[in-house]
Amino acid sequence: MNQTRLHFHPIRGKAQAIVAAILQTEDVASVGKVFGAIRLVTEELVVNIVDYAYPDGDDDYLDVEIERDEERITLCFRDGGVPFNPLDLPPPDISLPIEQRPIGGLGFFIVTKTMDTVEYEYTGGENVLTVMKKL
Amino acid sequence: MEKDFEVKKEGSVLTVVLGEELATANAPALMEELTPFKDQGVKKVVFDAKKLTHLSSSGVRVIIYCKQKLSVNPEIVFVNCNEEILDVLDIVGIRPFITFEKR
Repeated sequence: MNQTRLHFHPIRGKAQAIVAAILQTEDVASVGKVFGAIRLVTEELVVNIVDYAYPDGDDDYLDVEIERDEERITLCFRDGGVPFNPLDLPPPDISLPIEQRPIGGLGFFIVTKTMDTVEYEYTGGENVLTVMKKL
Repeated sequence: MEKDFEVKKEGSVLTVVLGEELATANAPALMEELTPFKDQGVKKVVFDAKKLTHLSSSGVRVIIYCKQKLSVNPEIVFVNCNEEILDVLDIVGIRPFITFEKR
């Protein structure tokens, strides 16, 4: 199994650079046909963490662990921001006519629909979100 | 990032030629460029998606904005849309509200 660890600090205003660094790791860059899914999910999660995890902007960091073997790729995102379980978010009502849809709130829904598993825990003062996609 | 889209209006048709992505890096800039066309009689918005390979929720927001706010219920057309983009439009449930064309 290959394993890569990345540490980002500070993260404010750096979402694009963080996403690019994750996508450029060898485990992600060479992942093949699920690259588009990993790119999409990485952007949605990193943008949410950068925009909302640290409302006061103090000591902001994000640790990302990437694990890949022949069967799956797993990304684990850890931040020390305000406790927030995205799995508690109500899913958007996509049966509504498009004229009545709220314009936001779709990012994490895309993550849950794109990945095979999405797990959250708050431990050691950190939000830990782990997503897995089968290869 | 550099601007990678082009917006032009001919009659009541607004055409948006997209680059490789419509996502967090460029969706706000496109939204800003579309705003002057609000209430300008746009009946159809054509997204040329020939080069598009990455669509995130920020990009979906632009599409919903066009349908809801640009004018009264304009037709939304996607031209030359690939399977990955169709998957995202399916997930967020807006594919039924879009007309797809190949040119």
